[in-house]
Amino acid sequence: MYKVVRRKALRPTVTQLEIEAPLVARKAKPGQFIILRVNEEGERIPLTVAGVNPEEGTVKIIFQVVGATTELLNHVPEGGYLQDFVGPLGNATETEGIKKVCIVGGGVGCAIAMPVAQEFHRIGAEVTSIIGFRSEDLVILEDEFNECSDKLYVMTDDGSYGRHGNVTVPLDEMLAAGEKFDMIITIGPLIMMKFVTLTAKKYNAPITVSMSPIMIDGTGMCGGCRLTLNTEEGPVMKFACVDGPDFNGYEVDFDEAISRGRMYFDYERRAHEATCNLFRQAENA
Amino acid sequence: MALDPKKHEMPSQDPQVRAHNFNEVALGYTEEIAIAEAQRCLNCKNKPCVEGCPVNVNIPDFIMKAKEGDWEGAYKIINETSTLPAVCGRVCPQETQCEAKCTMGIKFEPVGIGRLERFAADWHNANATEKAVAPESNGHKVAIVGSGPAGLTCAGDLAKKGYKVSVFEALHTAGGVLVYGIPEFRLPKAIVAREVEGLKDLNVDIETNVIIGKTLTVDELFDEMGFEAVFIGSGAGLPMFMNIPGESLKGVFSANEYLTRSNLMKAYLDDPKTPIMKGGKVAVVGGGNVAMDAARTALRLGAEHVYIVYRRSMEELPARKEEVEHAIEEGIDFRLLNNPVEILGYNNPDDPKDPKNGFVKGIRCIKMELGEPDASGRRRPIPVEGSEFELDVDAVIMALGTRPNPLIKNTTKGLEVNRKGGFVVDEDGLTSREAVYAGGDAVTGAATVISAMGAGKLAAASIDKYLSNK
Ligand SMILES: Cc1cc2nc3c(=O)[nH]c(=O)nc-3n(C[C@H](O)[C@H](O)[C@H](O)COP(=O)(O)OP(=O)(O)OC[C@H]3O[C@@H](n4cnc5c(N)ncnc54)[C@H](O)[C@@H]3O)c2cc1C
Ligand SMILES: Cc1cc2nc3c(=O)[nH]c(=O)nc-3n(C[C@H](O)[C@H](O)[C@H](O)COP(=O)(O)OP(=O)(O)OC[C@H]3O[C@@H](n4cnc5c(N)ncnc54)[C@H](O)[C@@H]3O)c2cc1C
Ligand code: SF4
Ligand code: SF4
Ligand code: FES
Repeated sequence: MYKVVRRKALRPTVTQLEIEAPLVARKAKPGQFIILRVNEEGERIPLTVAGVNPEEGTVKIIFQVVGATTELLNHVPEGGYLQDFVGPLGNATETEGIKKVCIVGGGVGCAIAMPVAQEFHRIGAEVTSIIGFRSEDLVILEDEFNECSDKLYVMTDDGSYGRHGNVTVPLDEMLAAGEKFDMIITIGPLIMMKFVTLTAKKYNAPITVSMSPIMIDGTGMCGGCRLTLNTEEGPVMKFACVDGPDFNGYEVDFDEAISRGRMYFDYERRAHEATCNLFRQAENA
Repeated sequence: MALDPKKHEMPSQDPQVRAHNFNEVALGYTEEIAIAEAQRCLNCKNKPCVEGCPVNVNIPDFIMKAKEGDWEGAYKIINETSTLPAVCGRVCPQETQCEAKCTMGIKFEPVGIGRLERFAADWHNANATEKAVAPESNGHKVAIVGSGPAGLTCAGDLAKKGYKVSVFEALHTAGGVLVYGIPEFRLPKAIVAREVEGLKDLNVDIETNVIIGKTLTVDELFDEMGFEAVFIGSGAGLPMFMNIPGESLKGVFSANEYLTRSNLMKAYLDDPKTPIMKGGKVAVVGGGNVAMDAARTALRLGAEHVYIVYRRSMEELPARKEEVEHAIEEGIDFRLLNNPVEILGYNNPDDPKDPKNGFVKGIRCIKMELGEPDASGRRRPIPVEGSEFELDVDAVIMALGTRPNPLIKNTTKGLEVNRKGGFVVDEDGLTSREAVYAGGDAVTGAATVISAMGAGKLAAASIDKYLSNK
């Protein structure tokens, strides 16, 4: 069992937890993730390591409530326990030789992007961050990004906070003005990453995307997380959990990934409703 | 007394009923039948059956005890060589191992060795009261990577000799393929759980959620944690695909994913927390035990029709004979000498939001004929030109075999692997690194429970020799 040492609500549906997991805390690098199960019956879900405290032996995760499991996770109190917590999984984000980087995060993807931004800042790279949200009430981690970014753009789709528009807007402006980045890395909804990639492509800029397909084991055993890369030698199948999660954006078949991500859509919706009902009943009782 | 030419039949659930539940198919002999079956054994002096068993269970001796109804005595004899008799009695491919060599089998049906082994083990599990007691510690620490049959056996043998053993398992439950692959209706999970509990009684630490190569490395096990030897039983868990168009459509699964969802994640229970596709028509590609398990699981989850698509003929099906027979009885539709060339997807050009878009709608296959035998001695299947046809299906499960996971190799210096990614070991199970042993599917590629168990046993003996002389 893994203890929830601290809990902080960042937004009504975005929560940060610090979990006691000393072995993971010792090892995890920015860009890597963990897989957890809340309870004995629960599903395994992947979440990115949002920071570690090796001395204390804790690992930080930030998650958005989107379905049954994240709902359940959001109900674990401080001092409570998680059934399983395994990691670190996946490869760390490549940082070597990168002097100037642009980080483009969308929604809860910003939680995944934040430790990467912090790492680039720590190694002395020049960091430009673009973080985008649907609206003001969903903005997270602005202070954290401010601290580790040389330049920060906060965008909202509806203009209720920061600049109005998509994350591609400032990226396009910078690239059009001749800015050169050693690396652009984007983390967020697939559709956003697809458009960030297309924007980068206009200027032939290198683009890394952090993929988050549905996973089970996270060790390469099930193949559920597979995606297609269209390489020069033709299409190749990769497993995001062991070959990724970062991939060359030019190669990723986004449409396929978007389609596969919706495999269990109906089931997930029903499971979430059922979980919410359970909690509602418990509150009313 | 005249010898019964036939093996006593295994009482089983009715095919029509069992096709809709996950309870064990084979119900096991009654004591009466078991003793009658034991009486068919001729107690051959040259013991040919023993040679057929990969771990050389002393078959005639245990059957002699069985004849007397001394089941604890029978169990003890089996247990000298096999640590998982309740498992092996159920899943060993007896028809190619012990029973293949049985003298009775020359003229008649062989003695039901596996069934007797199962009865003895189940009897012991139901009646034995004494708990395993951990022996006094000898002060040596050994780490085991992976909790499949290889790892569990190695751990048990070493613990009984007084070693302090820790088993590190990547998943959240111990048991390897026995829990995530082989379904409940063939091997009840309670049997595996019992074996794992038995190890705990011997003071073995079972550390789930630890991935060697990620959470800890082999070097850290030695340098920081003070283990003096390591056994790697990490299995062959990486699924293969065919590289044909359409394999990324929704509704195409590796057998590993499908079975893991059903078994480990318990989608086979009512109201599961893990989603799985139920109902519709399903094609399973492959002909091994994994394919049979996937097909029969799909049926039990509610599929209306399940095909097995296999490129060779009935003779070459590598699955256990009993499983194939059971699958046929349950109504699985065998489409032999067929090979998939493409998986077809649904696409509604008028409505990009049609929820069925991107899901499987069929599989295109080509007929095969058998040519000359290949290197494996099996006749090579050759496509028959122009014989393509389509089957309407909603899901395709790929059961094409697996390879070892490169994770440990990639994070451990000096560990040699062969062309197929299996660890290279010598006759003692020692790898190319001092004090690092390996066995089971991680060495051989996908094989059998009993051979993995045998490898775990061998490594335990080698580790004991190595550490006692150190
Ligand atoms: C490597 C990796 C790292 C991740 N890191 C984070 C993180 O740091 N914070 C965070 O909030 N989320 C992260 N995710 C996404 C997170 O795993 C999913 O939100 C979670 O599995 C949803 O589970 P659920 O049962 O609550 O929802 P479900 O009922 O399973 O799904 C609800 C909705 O979420 C979508 N969804 C399901 N699985 C995923 C997935 N793997 N990725 C994206 N969307 C998904 C579904 O399509 C559906 O619309 C990550 C995913 C991966 C693969
Ligand atoms: C569906 C199916 C049906 C089968 N049916 C039969 C049958 O009827 N009869 C038969 O004899 N054989 C059968 N087999 C084959 C048999 O199960 C295997 O040969 C046997 O389980 C191999 O044992 P093992 O201990 O080598 O590996 P496994 O059972 O594969 O166990 C390896 C364990 O190591 C863990 N692991 C892997 N990497 C790491 C790591 N880096 N760190 C920590 N842990 C790790 C894995 O999670 C796993 O739990 C079947 C296999 C499958 C998949
Ligand atoms: S362990 Fe397997 S092969 Fe050996 S005797 Fe028992 S059933 Fe036969
Ligand atoms: S070969 Fe058959 S009949 Fe002979 S001892 Fe073995 S099991 Fe008995
Ligand atoms: S999550 Fe199973 S292979 Fe990647």
